[in-house]
Amino acid sequence: MRPTVLIVDDHPGFRSLARKLLAAGGFEVVGEAADGHAAIDAARELRPDVVLLDIQLPGIDGFEVAERLRDGAAGPAVVLVSSRDRADYGARVEQCGARGFIPKAELSVDAMRALMGATG
Amino acid sequence: MSQRLRLALALTALAAGLVDLALLLRAGEDRPGPLAYLLVAIIGVSWSFAAAGLVAWSRRPDNRTGALMVTVGLAYLLNGLLLNGVTLVRAPLGFELWFLVATLPEAVLAHLIAVYPDGRATTRLQRLFVVANYAATVPLALAQLLLVDPASLGCAECPDDLLALGGRHPYGEAVLAVSNLVLVVLAGLLLWIVISRWHRAPEPRRRSLAPVVLVGVVLVVVYLIGQALMVVMSSPPSPIEIGFNLTILMLLLLWPLAFLAGLARTRLDHSAVGGLAIELSKALPPGRLEQALARALHDPTLTLAYWLPDRHAFVDAAGYPVELPAAGDDRAVTILRQGGDPVAALLHHAALDDDPALVQAVAATARMTIENQRLHAEVRAQLEEVRASRARIVEFGDAERRRVERNLHDGAQQRLVNVSLALGIARSQVGTAGDEELAAALDEAAAELRRALAELRELARGIHPVILSEAGLGPALAALAERSPIPVTLAPVVSERLPPRVEETAYYVASEALANAAKHARATAVTISARRRGGDLVVEVGDDGTGGADPDGSGLRGLADRVAVLDGRLHVHSPAGQGTCITAVLPCAS
Repeated sequence: MRPTVLIVDDHPGFRSLARKLLAAGGFEVVGEAADGHAAIDAARELRPDVVLLDIQLPGIDGFEVAERLRDGAAGPAVVLVSSRDRADYGARVEQCGARGFIPKAELSVDAMRALMGATG
Repeated sequence: MSQRLRLALALTALAAGLVDLALLLRAGEDRPGPLAYLLVAIIGVSWSFAAAGLVAWSRRPDNRTGALMVTVGLAYLLNGLLLNGVTLVRAPLGFELWFLVATLPEAVLAHLIAVYPDGRATTRLQRLFVVANYAATVPLALAQLLLVDPASLGCAECPDDLLALGGRHPYGEAVLAVSNLVLVVLAGLLLWIVISRWHRAPEPRRRSLAPVVLVGVVLVVVYLIGQALMVVMSSPPSPIEIGFNLTILMLLLLWPLAFLAGLARTRLDHSAVGGLAIELSKALPPGRLEQALARALHDPTLTLAYWLPDRHAFVDAAGYPVELPAAGDDRAVTILRQGGDPVAALLHHAALDDDPALVQAVAATARMTIENQRLHAEVRAQLEEVRASRARIVEFGDAERRRVERNLHDGAQQRLVNVSLALGIARSQVGTAGDEELAAALDEAAAELRRALAELRELARGIHPVILSEAGLGPALAALAERSPIPVTLAPVVSERLPPRVEETAYYVASEALANAAKHARATAVTISARRRGGDLVVEVGDDGTGGADPDGSGLRGLADRVAVLDGRLHVHSPAGQGTCITAVLPCAS
């Protein structure tokens, strides 16, 4: 069974490319969202295995969305993405409960699978 | 007109007093000693009030205090004239008339005390008292006249009244007790008005109020005790009553003198202007001039504001804008002018408006010094303007840097990221098709793109480090240390969030010092600390490089300017061959 993904980013170009990349790599993209509130609603409705979540979003940012989606083992795995470096965000990446961080330019199926496999 | 009126009143008071004295002398043999002394004392009180009242009236024609004092004097004279005349003629109706008028001087006096020194009732309580005071006087006297035995009122020699009710009415004693109770309540109310007025009065007004209030309070207290005794003892012995009356009359004699003493104190204040002139002959620092003026005018709340013609505004000694108080509150403004143009403004308690001549005298004495200090204030205001403008420039620069970084992130970086992803997708498709040359070209393009993105990120970070606004100074310094080409040790660094301007300045100090250590000093180790010391943040960056840094070089000079915007200090210790230590002290309240 293919892992399901929700893509959250306010740039349609990135969402479209990420969808192609992940679909080609064996993921099933079940939805997209362009801001934080829509991401929370979609995640609760679609129950994806993974949320690919941009940090800079209109309204509430990716860190807060990740914190709200943190729901023990039942919650989706959140993978943060940004065109900035991880170091630009300090300890907030770890503190928000995300599974990991991938720079957008380095987004790949292998990187996604590596993060998902890290905790099974 | 009012001068003629005052002259006429003065002559009337003099003539009435003389006639009164003549009548008294003529009836002298018939009078018991204490009563004769009482009547002479009443004439003294009358003249005393009339004279002091006329002085006050001529000095302050717009204030009704003088007129009220003259009225008190004339009321006492009328009282004495009627009493002496009636005693001589022994006409029964005359006693009725005298009895009704007898309480009038005290009623006017109570009115005077209640509204002193304004001369008019300004509060609701004062208005209530004045109305109640007059409303109670005549009806009470009438009730006593009709129902009370004259002997029990202390007038043993008064004849039986024509209405033939006095002394025999069953409610006589009750009426007397109620009358005395009402008077006690009125006197208590008056005491309350005087005390609360004293409490509210500012220092300048208290100085002229003090003698008047002191005698007034003693007078009211003695009167209260006397009335209380009359309530407790149904028929007090005559000597005690005469003793109280004499004491009250002595105090009444003093009261106008106390008023004149209050005026004299104001005169003494005018002589203090000489002391101010001596003080001003020495060079005074800016704040001290204001203190000297406050002392001369006995108003500790006084502030001095200087007029800046270019700005059309008043500023204080430090050059900060000063708002003049709105009309109607207890603050007043005296504008000091030179050739019609404003030079400065004295912001003082409205009570000083009682003596505008004193304020003008003090201002005239200090004019030269004020003009001097005004020029100083103008320079300081310009400096303050420069400082504020520099802060605005830095703030604008910081905002621009944040905007450029955001634009890079949302624009160029985002597009390059998309290109990178598109290349990745193309590469994966080519990989399955087996075109190795194309795959190699795509790999090379992707690698080049990653380098371009890395450089762009570094550029954006240099423009504005996002981690600083996202996570604060501690994480930002940690990230700075991680990226540094030379090893950096972070000594204790504040974990709390600080005002953004402080965090940004502290970060740029550390970042610039670290860049210098790497580029110019050939250092092999750097230590960075940022800790709170009182209300300041102290940032210290030390390295083991070659030292000899030039504090006037453009980099350090720029840092010093940036630190100065926050009213902070930058210290560079860089002896040749012994490393460099740069310390910035940044006030966190700014």
